[in-house]
Amino acid sequence: MLGPVLAFVLAIALAPLLFSLFISLTDYRLTDPTQAKPFVGLGNYLKAFQDKAVLETLANTVVFTVGAVTSQVLLGLALALLMSGETPFMRTLRSLAIMPLALPPLVVGLVWKALYNPQFGPVAYYLKQIGLSVDRGFLGEFTTAMPAVLVIDLWQWTPLLMIIFLAGLKSLPTEMLEAAYVDGASRTQAFFYITLPMLLPVIFIGVLLRTMNAFKVFDIIFATTGGGPGNATSVLNFHIYKVGLTFFDMGYAAALANILLFMIGVCCAFYVVLLRRQRATEF
Amino acid sequence: MRASRTENLLRNALAILVIAFFLMPIVWLFTTSLKLQRDTFQLPPVWLGFQPTLNNFAFAINQIQVGRFVLNSVIISAGTTLISVVLGTLGGYAVSRSRLRFVGASSYFFLVLLMIPPVAMLVPFYLIMRDLGLLGTYWAVIILDTVYNAPFVVWMMSNYFRSVPTEMEQAALVDGASHFQAFRLVALPLAVPGIIASVLYCLIFSWNDFIFALLLTSPSTKTVPLAIMGQFSTAQLQWGYMAALSVFAVLPVLLVALVLNRYFVQGLTAGATKG
Repeated sequence: MLGPVLAFVLAIALAPLLFSLFISLTDYRLTDPTQAKPFVGLGNYLKAFQDKAVLETLANTVVFTVGAVTSQVLLGLALALLMSGETPFMRTLRSLAIMPLALPPLVVGLVWKALYNPQFGPVAYYLKQIGLSVDRGFLGEFTTAMPAVLVIDLWQWTPLLMIIFLAGLKSLPTEMLEAAYVDGASRTQAFFYITLPMLLPVIFIGVLLRTMNAFKVFDIIFATTGGGPGNATSVLNFHIYKVGLTFFDMGYAAALANILLFMIGVCCAFYVVLLRRQRATEF
Repeated sequence: MRASRTENLLRNALAILVIAFFLMPIVWLFTTSLKLQRDTFQLPPVWLGFQPTLNNFAFAINQIQVGRFVLNSVIISAGTTLISVVLGTLGGYAVSRSRLRFVGASSYFFLVLLMIPPVAMLVPFYLIMRDLGLLGTYWAVIILDTVYNAPFVVWMMSNYFRSVPTEMEQAALVDGASHFQAFRLVALPLAVPGIIASVLYCLIFSWNDFIFALLLTSPSTKTVPLAIMGQFSTAQLQWGYMAALSVFAVLPVLLVALVLNRYFVQGLTAGATKG
């Protein structure tokens, strides 16, 4: 029964990847009327490691991914603990909290772009009231653009982590906690020595899901900053889009995409090892 | 260790603040879609006491003709969801039950597929679709959406099937049922919550997709997010129009998500929280 899905995925995913490997070795430009694909060997790859824009966006990718995953996992955990009460009121609030993750990221980006707008944006207005303001708006300044984009991502995806962690909390057996309290443990001790370790598999799922998606962030950046100011919020994923599909430098874009793929592959191998180890202890 | 009254009050107050943060942009979007142009830029922001208007929706429906974009979105997300859930559920069952090492290991392969950045696929996929003459058709978007959704469903459903006890299936096999009958008549009904969760995620992903539709659709197959972006790049930006168009992009999936709220987590955590 694995056949159909494996066949589909292999046919559709592998063909483009192999094709991408091929064009990354050529200097293929979509705008070239002859559609020639002159072979340049590893030229595109060598060029990438001297390209300042690539190195900048590569650094941004790491900053964005680490920043997004860390802040969202910590906040998601805090919110899950805060909102775990089984009162009707809390249940209502919890069901409202999932709303952000159903919204199209593009719309989320556009809405936040308006909210941040230095002339009429409500968020910019309220922050100004408490003494926080920047000339060109939070998305327009070099130092604040990346944090501002991270807040948008945090707004959209923290609820997902919250509900995953809540499910984890609800499924924990209560006997150990009760025993710990009988033995005089404080709530902090009970959290760090019992709840947190037992919650690790669920936290792991959350980190895995968010890492995979943070590497691929595109819509939010497209809608808010377009990678700017300068390259301040341009991640590699976005930069490749610009090179390939607005400058039509297909060969170079394919090489950059393969570099990104390699990076994610390394990350992935690391996860698979962790996952194996976790599965092994589970059974 | 029971929480005190003051602690409960504090918790509730803090929780309300948190929810206010998560709802504020959504409230802004809906109120802006109902505001007159002159009211959208008012400071301090007016959240409730403004004069409501349906002008923006009239513009979206009559001028932009949002209906055809909604139809395109429905076709693409329904197609993607149907194919992904059927393929993914079959695959997920196989991964969870098979004793072959190759099949078990393939679940990692599906996880790897999920990590491929869309642009790495898009550049070559765009060229292949162009050469096949499929560029601009629904199929181009559906196929690429499915490449990302089907592996996710495999991953979710294999976790879900693992959390379903196998004794009944084994009993069915002993009584002479075929493997497919054991799957269809015994395992599948038990996995319905996981399937609903899969449908929910596929719907959200394909309905909300922007980058694939941006490059693979033609003017006649454009989806709602593209209509919004098109409005955004016109010379005179009207936030009211943008907001009204966005409501069409937001509302359907938001309603489905609120109704199916409790299924959200089941597929994701089934493997890890079986306790």
